[in-house]
Amino acid sequence: MVQLKVHGVLADPNTDTQIVVLREDEGTEILPIWVGSAEGHAIRLAMDGVVPPRPTSHDLLNGISQHLGLDVTQVVVTDISNNTYYASIYVKANGSEHTIDARPSDAIAFALRVPCPIYATDDVMKRRAGEKLDAWLEKLDPQNFGKYEA
Amino acid sequence: MITQMKIRGLMFDPYNNSYIVLLRCEETQDMLPIWVGKPEASAISFALEGLSTPRPMTHDLMKLLIDSVDAKVLSANITDLKDNTYYAKIHIAYGDSFFSIDARPSDAIAFAIRTEAPIFASDDVIQKHDAEEVDRWLENLKPEDFGKYEV
Repeated sequence: MVQLKVHGVLADPNTDTQIVVLREDEGTEILPIWVGSAEGHAIRLAMDGVVPPRPTSHDLLNGISQHLGLDVTQVVVTDISNNTYYASIYVKANGSEHTIDARPSDAIAFALRVPCPIYATDDVMKRRAGEKLDAWLEKLDPQNFGKYEA
Repeated sequence: MITQMKIRGLMFDPYNNSYIVLLRCEETQDMLPIWVGKPEASAISFALEGLSTPRPMTHDLMKLLIDSVDAKVLSANITDLKDNTYYAKIHIAYGDSFFSIDARPSDAIAFAIRTEAPIFASDDVIQKHDAEEVDRWLENLKPEDFGKYEV
């Protein structure tokens, strides 16, 4: 597994989605994940350290987790299948460990709020879009990253 | 005092470009409209229609989280209305204790439907919202606006 940091969230000009760019903590490999605009927004708020006047859905998720006394140890992007990424959230409670299935968008938005580390399996890093993706990213205007570039 | 509310419908408000969850008290017929954002509206509509998505949505994840430790959602309560903002609390039982957590009504409702928890509103909130204004607004609505979410 490799540890990743959220490098930025950018709008995909071709679709109504956003791209979360994860980058190796010790390295230069990146893993882009397409997410819905609501989840992209949730990730941006956490990156910018913005606390909105009312709790967002992911703030609520984190609040529930804190009240339950859960120890959220890590989130892992575990698989890609038919262009869908899968993630798991690892939680310890009362001495037992639970693995919760989640979309990577929710898992990342949650991890930034906990906070806890984000990983991807080597398999996912190998099978990500690869060269095609690099070409795609090169074409992107750096300004698209806007103020969220980290 | 609190009153149990049922979800009467979910509709699009073209004037505010947002969605309205309409709660109604079965006994008194009191209506409580709550404006919610698009992602929360779709979270509520999925649950109302009993649709399951291929991947867990954010409120499904909340349920997975509490299910993993056998906690239980007791109720979602719309507690206050201040400066046009509604406030809610979710009551959760865990082990021998229980706690309440601050939430937006949209999240509280989306979560309550999934966990089959009742939704309540404080009488104070029901009285505070300007009933007449809402009634007038509702009269102007075409039945089609309720669309397929009418229940």
